[in-house]
Amino acid sequence: MKVILTIAMAAALLIVPAMVTADCNIQGTGEVNVISNSYPSLEIIAAAMKECNQGGVKVGFKLTKEHREETMQAFAAAKCPYDIAQGSNSTIAPLQTDGLLRPMNDLVDKYRDKYKIEDAMLIKIGKEVYAIAFQVNAQHLFYRKDLFEKHNIAVPTTYDEVLAVAEKLKAEESIQFPLGGTYKSGWNLAQEFMNIYLATGADIFKPGTAMPAYNSEKGVQTLELMKKLMDYMSPNALALDTTAVMQQFQQGQIAMANLWASRAVKMDDQAESKVAGKVEFAQAPSMVKGGPPATTLWWDGFFMAQNMDGDPDLAFKIMMQGLSEDVVKANNDATIWLRSAYKPGRYSAGAYASAMAGAPPYPMQPQISMVHAGLGNNIGDFLAGKETARESLADAEKAYINAAKEKGYIK
Amino acid sequence: MPRRHILTPPRKKVTSNKPMLSAHLVRSLYSKSDRVRNFCMNPETREIAMNLKNFLAFVGPSVLAMVGLIAVPLLGVAYLSIHSSHVETELVEVKSVVPLFGGLTKTTIEKVPQPVLDENGHPIKVWEYVGRRNFDTVADPGGLVEAVRKDRSKTAEGQPTSFRQRMYGIYRDVTDVNFWGALEFTLLYAFITTPFILVLGFILAMLVNNVVKWARGPLIFCSLLPHIITPVVGSLSIYWLFLDNAIVAALLEQLGAGKVYFLKDAFSIRTLIILYGVWHTTPFAFVILYAGLQTVPQDSLQAAEVDGANYWQRIRYIIIPHLTALFSFIILIHLMDAYRIFEPVLVFGSNLFANSLQYLTYYILNFEDNYYKAAASAILTVIGICILLLPILRRTYREQKGVA
Repeated sequence: MKVILTIAMAAALLIVPAMVTADCNIQGTGEVNVISNSYPSLEIIAAAMKECNQGGVKVGFKLTKEHREETMQAFAAAKCPYDIAQGSNSTIAPLQTDGLLRPMNDLVDKYRDKYKIEDAMLIKIGKEVYAIAFQVNAQHLFYRKDLFEKHNIAVPTTYDEVLAVAEKLKAEESIQFPLGGTYKSGWNLAQEFMNIYLATGADIFKPGTAMPAYNSEKGVQTLELMKKLMDYMSPNALALDTTAVMQQFQQGQIAMANLWASRAVKMDDQAESKVAGKVEFAQAPSMVKGGPPATTLWWDGFFMAQNMDGDPDLAFKIMMQGLSEDVVKANNDATIWLRSAYKPGRYSAGAYASAMAGAPPYPMQPQISMVHAGLGNNIGDFLAGKETARESLADAEKAYINAAKEKGYIK
Repeated sequence: MPRRHILTPPRKKVTSNKPMLSAHLVRSLYSKSDRVRNFCMNPETREIAMNLKNFLAFVGPSVLAMVGLIAVPLLGVAYLSIHSSHVETELVEVKSVVPLFGGLTKTTIEKVPQPVLDENGHPIKVWEYVGRRNFDTVADPGGLVEAVRKDRSKTAEGQPTSFRQRMYGIYRDVTDVNFWGALEFTLLYAFITTPFILVLGFILAMLVNNVVKWARGPLIFCSLLPHIITPVVGSLSIYWLFLDNAIVAALLEQLGAGKVYFLKDAFSIRTLIILYGVWHTTPFAFVILYAGLQTVPQDSLQAAEVDGANYWQRIRYIIIPHLTALFSFIILIHLMDAYRIFEPVLVFGSNLFANSLQYLTYYILNFEDNYYKAAASAILTVIGICILLLPILRRTYREQKGVA
C-alpha cells in the first residue's frame, strides 16, 4: 500500500508542471468552485488558485475534458454549483446569449491595479466585460526547415504555393507524404473548413441574419481546395486528429501541416520527436496573396456564473490569483500567454505572424457551434467521394437550419 | 473418465444402435422445466417456493433500486423529449472586443442574437410542449420518404439506370439521413458480432474447461482482460494499432504486404470496429458459458459416452442444449450493449464511415446543445432496444409460462 501511495504521489508530482510559488494571502471566508478543461496551462492555473485554500477560504477546482457540457448545464441551473468556469470563443456565446454570465466591469475596475489587469485580457461584448482571457491558440504552418533548404523551397504564404511545394516534395524520399492535416471527420474537419472559408473573404451568415451563406461558390471553392490538399496527405487523413498529425510530424513522415500552436513545443521534445530542431513555424497560408491567413484565433479565459451562490468579490480575487503575472513569469513556455509579461519565443512565432497578418478571431455567435457541427457531420461525405460538394454543403446547411430553428435563432 | 466408463453398467432401456435417441432421453430428463416442477411439487420444497414474504424481501430492494435509478430517470427523459426550451433572442448589432496577441485586440461589429429581456431585466425563457416534434427531427421520417421516393430513372448523364443502380441509390440516400445511417451501422454491428462472440466464447470456454486445473485460473484472467478494459481505452488502442505506421501497419509492411491504410474507407473502418466488438465482448460470453459448463450433469455425459456418442455428439446433444438458456441470456445482453455502441465510433473518425445511434445522441447533446432533442434520441434508442429484444423476451416469457 505504502509503495502504491509513493508511486501515486511521485506520478502526481510529475503531472503537475512547474509548481507556482506565489503565495496566496487572500483573506475572507467562503467557498469558490471552479470548472475547466484539462491541459498543462490550466493545471498550472488550478495549482495557483488552490494555494488560496487556507483559513476561511475553500477553493474547489475541477479539471475535466467534458467541461463544456457540464458548464452549459451548471450555469443554466437556478443555483450554479460553480462560481467560475473556463471557456473559449465557442463556449462564451451561448452562455452570454442566455443571460447566464455575470458582467465583471465592477470587479475589473475595483481590482485593475491590484492584479495588473490588462485591457488585452478583457473579452467585451457590447459594454460588458464577460471574461478574462489568459492565452491564445491558433493553427498555423509547421514545416520541415531542413527539407525546405535541401530542395531550395521558400516558405509558402498562399495555398497555391502550398500545393506547388507539396508537388515538389513528393520526390523527397525521407517522408511519406508532403502534407498533414487535422482532417478528422467531425469537429476538426469543420474547423479547417472554417479557417479556409473565412479566408476567402466570405461570410458565414447572410448579412444581418442568422441564415447560412456557405452553401455557395466560396463554400464549394473551399471544399475543392481541401480535396486537392488531401491528395498530398495520408489516405487515412479523414480519421487523423491533431494528436495523430502531430505524431506524423514527430516521426518525420510529413513535411508541412496547418497545426495548433499549442503543439509547437512538442516538435522539439527529444523523448517523442525524431525531428527535434528541424521544424519551424510560420503564419498560416492565405487564400490570396496578401489576404488574411486561413486560420482563426482562439482565446481561453474565465467567466463568472450569473446564478452563482458564492461571493463574487472573493471568486474574482481567486480567479486573478490564478491568472497573476507571477504565474505567467514562472511558466513562460507553458503556452502563449496574453499578459505582456510573456516573452514570445520560437513556439509562438507562427501564431504571432498569423495574428499580425490579420487572421480573424473564431466567430463568437451562439449559433456557431451548430454551424460547426453541421459542417463536421456532412462535408466529409464530399471529401470521401460519397457526394458532390454542393450536396454535402446542402446537408450541412439543412442540419444547421434545423438546429437553429429549434433554439429560436432562426424564426 | 475411462475408469468410470468401466464402472457404469450399460442401461438396458437404451439399445446400443440408437445413441441419438438416448441422448434425447437424457436431455429431457434434465430439462429445466422438469426440475422446476419437481421443486414446486415436492412437499418439502413447496413452502419455500410459495413464501411471498421471503420473495418480497429478496426482490424488494432491487425493485426499489430499479424504480429509483431506471424508471424515474427514464420518465424524466421522456418528459424532456416532448418539450423544448430556449431563451427568446433577437438579432442586435453588437460590438465585441477580443484579444489577438501581445497586447493587440480586435473589435468586430456584427449582428449577434441577444436575449430579449422582460420588465425586470431577466431574459425571457420560452418553454413549450412540442409533442412529437423532437422525435420527428431526430428520426427524420420526411427525409427517409424523400430518399426512397427520389426519381432515379436516369443517371446524371441522362442514361437509364439499372435496377442495381437504383437500389444502391436508395441505400446511399437513406443512409445519408443521419438517423437511418446510424441505425444501419448499429444493427449491422449488433447482428454481425453476436454469432462471432457466441461461437468464440463457447470454443474458449470448452478449451479452458479441458486444460489442467492449475492453468485455468490464469487462463480465465487473461481471457477476461479485453472485457475489463474500459471501452474508450480499448477503442483508442485499436485506433493506435492501425494508424499510419502504427505497429500493425508497420508489421504488414515488413512482411511485404506493402502499405496498408486501415482508416481510409468504410469497409476497413467498419471491419475494425466489428473486430473490436468481438474482441471486447467474447470474454463476457466466455465467462458465462464457462460457468455454465461447470453445471453440465456429468452422469448424462457419461451415459452418452457409454451409449457410444462421440465428442461432437456429446457437445451437440448434451452440452449445447444444457446451455441454451445461457446463449439466449448472452444474446439478450449483447444486443442491448451493441445497440448502444459509442466509443469506437467516436474514436474512429466519428460518423463519416460508421455512425451509431448513441453517437447521434451525444452529437445532439454536445454540439447542438439541445437537451430536449437528445432526450428524444435517447428514448428512440430505448424503443429500438425493446423492439430488438422482443423476440427473445417473448420466448423467455413462453418458457416461464410453460413452467407454471
